[in-house]
Amino acid sequence: MTNLWWFALPVLLLPIWWHRQKRERVKAVPLATARFLPRSDPQQQRVWQWVDRFLLLLRCLLLACLITWLADPVVPWRGDSVLVAAGTDPKWVQQQVEASGFTKVDVASDPLTWFGRHEREWLGDAKVLVLGAVAMPAEKPRFRHQVELRTKPVPFAKTEHRIAIVSKRAAEWRALFAALSGPQRYLIDETISGKPELVIWDVPEAPPAALHAPLWWIGDASAFPELKNAKQVDGLHYADSTRGRLWHSEVWPPKDAASARRLFEDWQRLHYPPVAYVAAPQVLPADPAAPLGAGTRALRDMLSIALIALFALERIVTHASKR
Amino acid sequence: MLATPALLAQTNNLDLIIRYVLAGLGHGIHAGRERGAGVEFSEYRAYAPGDEWRRVDWKLLARADRYYVREAERDSHVAVWLWLDASASMAEPSLAMPNVDKLWYARTVLACLAAVAQRQGDAFGLIVLSNGRVNFTPAARGPRQMHRVLAQLSRAEPSGELPPAETLRASLHFARSPSLVFAVSDFLDFPSPMTDALLRLRHTQHDVRALCLQTRAEVEASFPANKSYRDPEQGDGVFRFGPEAQAEYRLRRGEHFAAVNAEWRKHDIRALSACIEDPVASVLRGWLRQAGRA
Repeated sequence: MTNLWWFALPVLLLPIWWHRQKRERVKAVPLATARFLPRSDPQQQRVWQWVDRFLLLLRCLLLACLITWLADPVVPWRGDSVLVAAGTDPKWVQQQVEASGFTKVDVASDPLTWFGRHEREWLGDAKVLVLGAVAMPAEKPRFRHQVELRTKPVPFAKTEHRIAIVSKRAAEWRALFAALSGPQRYLIDETISGKPELVIWDVPEAPPAALHAPLWWIGDASAFPELKNAKQVDGLHYADSTRGRLWHSEVWPPKDAASARRLFEDWQRLHYPPVAYVAAPQVLPADPAAPLGAGTRALRDMLSIALIALFALERIVTHASKR
Repeated sequence: MLATPALLAQTNNLDLIIRYVLAGLGHGIHAGRERGAGVEFSEYRAYAPGDEWRRVDWKLLARADRYYVREAERDSHVAVWLWLDASASMAEPSLAMPNVDKLWYARTVLACLAAVAQRQGDAFGLIVLSNGRVNFTPAARGPRQMHRVLAQLSRAEPSGELPPAETLRASLHFARSPSLVFAVSDFLDFPSPMTDALLRLRHTQHDVRALCLQTRAEVEASFPANKSYRDPEQGDGVFRFGPEAQAEYRLRRGEHFAAVNAEWRKHDIRALSACIEDPVASVLRGWLRQAGRA
């Protein structure tokens, strides 16, 4: 769309036209015997000559700058490249880059999205190799350049999650987490310390007012008035309070493995972002009909400064020439 | 003489031009008494640069250790008046010779005349009409007068109009004794206070000679067409020149100069028309010859 602004370039003809000196009186040459000649009216002559050339130049530059700013051009300058997603094994990346001989570009965010936005920077026949754990987009991506995905799933990072259990039935609650294995570790505290991600409150007393957590599992709802008229799904009451989100069920702590798993999965699904699916290694062929990105607006800052400077200069010169 | 005005105009040194133009012209336009041996002694005068060495009195030098020149008494009462019109129209340049204009030509001719007058011992004076004023250099003899006149001639700039009648009338007091008046002008204003003054001088028994200067383009009506022209002395109005204007120009110019010449003839004034592209020497010779016949 922004390319359509280039059609505004003929606007540059306006100052050129305005600065043209319209007509000029024909200069009369002194001639001693002019008195013997017939008189004539002062003649006007069409002259194609520009006045205030510096001002004209400034105005043309200003207009050209404005149109360029609107058109937001991107100069293709990148050749064959390797896009490397953050967190990829550097040794493997080094090996791949050397094998391909392409230029390495580190991308902090999702490489495919980033490439879609910056695609106009690549020369027409450039090839792109994407390395790292690239999440599979919902739709198969289309680019005007050939993009090869060489994905390598990364092992899950080891994480620690703090859980506070305040309950007389603490052993039953602990049993919920005892069977879990994997990269996640759940640190269970009987007392309130640090910033827990989950608080299991199963005593009639009210919790300290300063205690906040993203999720509360309430075993005894007597201290939480918010839960009295709370909505419920499959026997699970939920409400939002100033302390955080509250979940409550009459049948807690879960008595069998199936209900325990369902509770755990609901918690994981609703409170932690899903782990992206790593796309399979594949070659995405160049698609000439693929839509181009909106542009990166990389030149706009520079052009804005130039615009302001030119405008100021134009005003100054106009003012000075009127004096 | 091969020297064209274009070649002569390469220098502003009037002395040099005079020497060149007058080479071979000889002395004299009328019979005058030359200073020197055999002429009755009149007085001594201090030596001035330009005096001939043979006129220095060597005995007096031995006595007084100063240079003195013997001045002879002369009985030539003919004063020569050089009359220069330096109004704006005299700035008209020649189309063929861009560095020659009417004023340069008039100045050269008058300087040569001054040299001739000086050589034969006549007193000569200069009248320059420029910018509505009359610049008057009284008549005298000798090399110093020559320098004065040449300086005044060099200083003359074409500007303004001719002086009004009353200014000219006030300036005509010089003409007491019979004199020879050489007037150089383009005579485009006619009748004008200047021509009236010349006619009045003629009526008081002065010998008036007129040299009317024109350019070749004026004579042939060969100005560049498609240009606008203005009169340098009458500010307003624009004039054009083209093939259709040529006939009218010729007619009106012819009428004008016919009237001027008729007036000269009527008052017995010898007049010569010359193009400023013509060689100075031949024009000068022709003018002097005409004067000599009078």
